[in-house]
Amino acid sequence: MPPPMEAVPCKPLFFDLACNFIEFPNLDDKTGVANNKKQGAGITG
Amino acid sequence: MSANKENNLIQAYVELNKFCQSSDYERALKAAGKILQIAPNEQKAFHCKVICFIQLHNFKEALTVLSNAKNASLASDLVFEKAYSQYRLNCPKEALETVDGASELTPALKELRAQILYRLEQYQDCYNLYRDIVKNTTDDYEDERKANMSAVVSNLAALTPTADLP
Repeated sequence: MPPPMEAVPCKPLFFDLACNFIEFPNLDDKTGVANNKKQGAGITG
Repeated sequence: MSANKENNLIQAYVELNKFCQSSDYERALKAAGKILQIAPNEQKAFHCKVICFIQLHNFKEALTVLSNAKNASLASDLVFEKAYSQYRLNCPKEALETVDGASELTPALKELRAQILYRLEQYQDCYNLYRDIVKNTTDDYEDERKANMSAVVSNLAALTPTADLP
């Protein structure tokens, strides 16, 4: 005889939202893009 | 720094940036390593290296480079990355210590702290923190965060059936 059925709580869903903050830093200052942008702004006023 | 070396460094960063933007973490890792060979004190290259390890789910290596005494000054700003690696390596106690050692509780650290408290089964503190986060955050993950809050509440209910719950 199987034991009688019994309701058990399910494991609640839990999301990892902190992983969305794992991001590369901005490298514009290292690739020279930042300088070019500044100059560009100068030309277009 | 000689002009030649400086030029090489810019080129290397251009390459690294390309791989970062295409989420090619293997190549980005190599590019970051190349920069650190030319200039071992490049904080941003070091930061990218750590992000690559984490994105490649190599949390052990991320924690190793972050904890290496030689890298102390390079790693000092990467508190979140260190705590996240500890959290993923199933060391929530250590992760909490790292988070609480930060000079400022940024939104990223807050989100991580809530998840660590959940892992530590400190559901009441976790619930209070999530309430604070939900109140002060607008992003694309509000539904998921509400699901996390529900998980906290159901765990609270399971632990203390008589408690006055939201």
